[in-house]
Amino acid sequence: MKILLMGHPNVGKSVFFNRLTGTKVFESNYPGTTVDFTKGWMRLEGEDVELIDVPGAFSLEWKDQAEEVAVKMLEENRDSVVVCVLDASKVERGLYLALEIIERGYPVVVALNMWDVTKDKNIGIDVEKLERILGVPVVATTAISGEGFKELVSKIKETAPVKIEKIIKNAGGGESAAVSG
Amino acid sequence: MPLSVDERWDLIDRISKQTVEFGAYKHTLKDAIAELTVKPLTGLPVAIAVIYGFWSFFCDFAGTLFTDGFMVKLFDEHWLPWLQSVFPGGLGNPFYALMVDAGHIENGVLVASDNCFEAFGVLTSGLFVVFGVVLWAILAFYLMFALLEDIGYLPRLAVLVDTVLHKIGLHGYAIVPTFLALGCNIPGVTATRTLETRKQRFLMITLLSVFVPCGAQIGIMQDLVPEMMGWIFLTLAIGYLGFGFILNKIVPGKSPEIIMDVPPYRMPVMKNIVSKLWIRTSKFLLVAVPFVLLGCVIVGIMYLPQVGAMDWLATVLGPFLMSWFGVPGETVSPLIAGFLRKDLAVGMLGGLMEQGIMTTFQVFTSVVLLCIYFPCLATFALMIKEEKWKEFIGSIASLVVMVLVYGGLIHVVGIMLGVA
Repeated sequence: MKILLMGHPNVGKSVFFNRLTGTKVFESNYPGTTVDFTKGWMRLEGEDVELIDVPGAFSLEWKDQAEEVAVKMLEENRDSVVVCVLDASKVERGLYLALEIIERGYPVVVALNMWDVTKDKNIGIDVEKLERILGVPVVATTAISGEGFKELVSKIKETAPVKIEKIIKNAGGGESAAVSG
Repeated sequence: MPLSVDERWDLIDRISKQTVEFGAYKHTLKDAIAELTVKPLTGLPVAIAVIYGFWSFFCDFAGTLFTDGFMVKLFDEHWLPWLQSVFPGGLGNPFYALMVDAGHIENGVLVASDNCFEAFGVLTSGLFVVFGVVLWAILAFYLMFALLEDIGYLPRLAVLVDTVLHKIGLHGYAIVPTFLALGCNIPGVTATRTLETRKQRFLMITLLSVFVPCGAQIGIMQDLVPEMMGWIFLTLAIGYLGFGFILNKIVPGKSPEIIMDVPPYRMPVMKNIVSKLWIRTSKFLLVAVPFVLLGCVIVGIMYLPQVGAMDWLATVLGPFLMSWFGVPGETVSPLIAGFLRKDLAVGMLGGLMEQGIMTTFQVFTSVVLLCIYFPCLATFALMIKEEKWKEFIGSIASLVVMVLVYGGLIHVVGIMLGVA
């Protein structure tokens, strides 16, 4: 099993990577620091698991070389669990990528990172409800301080692939979504 | 079954309506600062202040405090005389010349050097260039850079310069590879991967490798010709924008608009700054030290009277260098060293200046030529790796044309001003 860290540019994937593996990769406060992937190892329930820091991507329909690398990484590692890191203050945009990955049949754990920023911006997110609708673990994290990491790691082994139809149903719009398509 | 783009957004809309709630948003001090730094009227003065602060720190910390205040004295007054007294061989011995001091001819007599720019041995000039000058410049640069990065200022700078950079087929975000390249061209070239099209990457890599001097080179230039730095940067900036404008017109392909996130300002974390500084500086030393020392050996061997290669090259290429660029044949040796390391090459110019064989304008032209005529070997290797063959050949061809045209142009301007 491998773990892929995916998400938009500048949502804190590299901070995640550093926290989880203890290896040092660059963290910068601007998008696009990681243009190549970085590998590291982390302990997961007594087992060494490979963790890959994938370059930031907005979507799997790639437009630049960093995104191209991201899609390749995903396709080459079919047996991976994907930790999808979202900017919690911009959930909708992040969900787009998360859904794309779920649709491709990967088991996903969603990290709502920069949780502290949502408080600054007065944004309320119902994590439990989001988890119920998506059917995959959703964890609120603040990577810089380390909040939520223990919970995140404990969820990695629990997650499983989810059918997108089920998410549509959970969101309460089965028929209308099918019709609009 | 995968959803269509619309279906996916429909679904996200439905999910977020049930789970996300936006409260009233308060305008904070952070937002106010963020706005001040992107609006042109207030943003431009801020940008100028930031860059000026950056440059002052670079000069004062690296140049004045460490290099002039400490390292020059250590190397010239203690290290060099000590080596000259204890190293076996003595002036005129080939091995001594390679390792410690090649000396130079004054009134027909071979005399010992009295500073580490002139001596040109592996243990003197080689070590002095890396540890006496360049290391401090790199440290100062990356410290300031890491601060700007982590605060989140760079994307704001990108927004400000967006309009200008569009004229040369790039967009504001190209400021990031450019700024990185000012530290070292290698990460600069790598960072072009975030640009969208092949055309943009080609333009950026070509302009970077020609017109953006690296931190090592800037550190040495600042030490040797501080009074010329303004003119040198102006000349390079004109070249960058001018040739960018022309290349944008003749290179086929698209330069799309970028839609970029401007992240919020954040307080830099000390630990992160220190670790970045450490990674970047150690990476730099790993590349620089072997190349500088190797460069010293190669150039030293070519200089040996028993080999005579440098004199031969100076005689052969001298007339061309003199008539086209207006610089003396002796500049051949720094130009050759520059294939390996630019900092070393500029250091060698320092040696020539000490001997007084160049006019001020020739020094200026040589320094600019050294910046533009070839990317260092490490960058060159990376260009082969990063670019497709067609683009690589294009880059090299543009490089040759730009160097000949621009170098010649500088000479012409010098003639018209009556200083060449």
